[in-house]
Amino acid sequence: MASITPTGSAPSATGALPPGFRHRRVPGGKSWLGWILVAPGLIGLVLFIIAPLLGSLVLGFFNYTLLGGGAFTGLANFTHLFRDPQFLNSVRVTAIFVAVYTPLNLALSLAMALWLKSWVAGKAALRVIFLIPALSPIVVNAVIFRLLLQQNGAINETLAGIGVSPIPWLSDGNWAMVAIIMVSLWQSFGYNMIILGAGLDSISPDVIAASRIDGAGPLRRLRSITLPLLSPALFFTTVLTVIGAWQVFIQVYIMTGGGPGQSTETIMMYLYATGFTFNQLGYASAIAAVLFVIIAIVTLIQLWGQKQWVHYD
Amino acid sequence: MIDPQAEVSLATRRAAAVTQPRRSRQRRLRPWLRALNSTVAWCVGIVFAFPLIWTFFTALKPGNEVFGQHFSFIGSQILWSNFADAWNAINFGRLLANSLIIALISTLLTLLVSTLTAFAFSRVRFRGRNGLFVLFLLTLTLPSEIAIIPLYLGFNAVDLTDTWTALILPGLFGAFGTFLLRQFMLQIPVEFEEAARIDGASTLRILVSIIVPLVRPALSVLAIFAFLGSWNGFLWPLIILNTASKWTIPLGLAGFSTMTGTQWQLLMAGCILTVAPVIIVVAISQRQLVAAIGAGAFGGR
Repeated sequence: MASITPTGSAPSATGALPPGFRHRRVPGGKSWLGWILVAPGLIGLVLFIIAPLLGSLVLGFFNYTLLGGGAFTGLANFTHLFRDPQFLNSVRVTAIFVAVYTPLNLALSLAMALWLKSWVAGKAALRVIFLIPALSPIVVNAVIFRLLLQQNGAINETLAGIGVSPIPWLSDGNWAMVAIIMVSLWQSFGYNMIILGAGLDSISPDVIAASRIDGAGPLRRLRSITLPLLSPALFFTTVLTVIGAWQVFIQVYIMTGGGPGQSTETIMMYLYATGFTFNQLGYASAIAAVLFVIIAIVTLIQLWGQKQWVHYD
Repeated sequence: MIDPQAEVSLATRRAAAVTQPRRSRQRRLRPWLRALNSTVAWCVGIVFAFPLIWTFFTALKPGNEVFGQHFSFIGSQILWSNFADAWNAINFGRLLANSLIIALISTLLTLLVSTLTAFAFSRVRFRGRNGLFVLFLLTLTLPSEIAIIPLYLGFNAVDLTDTWTALILPGLFGAFGTFLLRQFMLQIPVEFEEAARIDGASTLRILVSIIVPLVRPALSVLAIFAFLGSWNGFLWPLIILNTASKWTIPLGLAGFSTMTGTQWQLLMAGCILTVAPVIIVVAISQRQLVAAIGAGAFGGR
């Protein structure tokens, strides 16, 4: 322990180590050791996440079926895709879902996160209630809503009590879309509420107190202080909510099967049917590739747009 | 859980309250307003919980009263036997055993892989570490469900479709766990590790005896997420498993729900049996879950 390093930058324990070690912030780390430690995670990531995703892009250029194998068909799948009315419909349906569901989800979770900042008895228990659907199987949530939304189900019965005639939730195209959006909101807004709540908690009370002293009212405070400070969390939840929304599948599969007609057939529903019901795996991969590109473009637009409204400290 | 920063800010607020007595009084809601606020919030909570409440009461109704003439929670009799009937009709015992085994294996393997990776990223310096970390970071935003077809073809090529191996493997490598654990590991002072090293401990020994015990809270939260991820999974099991005896609970419920002449009361009993463990876990670990979702947010799902 006697040797004192001339630079003086690495005091205490490193004194006992050979001179070469003091350049490492964490002593003893050999390069191969790090690679061995990350190897399982890295191999898994490449094999089961990255490679399949790239594979999706490549397979789109083949005319692939499970038994028949594949032949390279170039852009044929893609040119066919852009003239396929069922695919174009699924893009429209999914885009409508994303456009309605995302703002509603964020508005609801933000409102609830703000509300739970006020004085509410039994706040923890309320949070549990809001979080349960987010952590339950989507299949269960969708099955429950299918019961509630039957023609003579509990929701129509309740509406009848206030004089509203029965709504054809699952047998009318537009109402079926409303039903899918409802169950999706119920399912997932609790998760975003917690993230935004954590964002609100991280805002320094001093800033709020200062604005109060300066005479800012509640609305002014929300607009000029809280929302700008919360914008990184809002941005993060928006991006992830949009990515998830483009892939909506289970609710539709359980509640409507894409119907009535094709009014709720989302891109993932069409992909699933094409690939696994009709065994056109190459064509389904082309759908996957287009969906991937759509999500990438939407995400990039948001990344670019964040400069306009997201404030980092 | 006393946070020194919170203490300080509390003191600042008290100081502010002393200098600004009038405004501070305005800020605190009056008792009746508090009661009103709580009541309204709980009304919203109850409306939100209504689907689950209704599910529970439907599970206790006779089959021909699920859609009653009148809106009523309770039927002509309360049939606890529906739960036993559902257990048999959906083959719930088998599904439960399958789901439990699969979720436990998935959880253990996820913890193992994430711990090793997070340890390398937080405590071991090696060439290429930063680039690799960015790669992990990027995969968090990848829409993974899109990749199911090549994934299916890959397992088909090695003759592993309709096996639990193929069901479990792809779910183990999400980068969420790595990020969560890395965040916690970075907070452990280097001195702990240096002291152990001077005592002659190897790197693996340090990981097992020092790091892992210190990040145990994060590990238990990650375990909950990994378990629920496996417990709730649907699309991949739907594609990869054919044989009904290998199915998990969501597959069994979905299969039962699409059978003609759905027996809603049994289906709802099955739903309650599935959600009950989730409710218990969430209720018990509410605080840790909320903290982890908040903390993991910027590297999370």
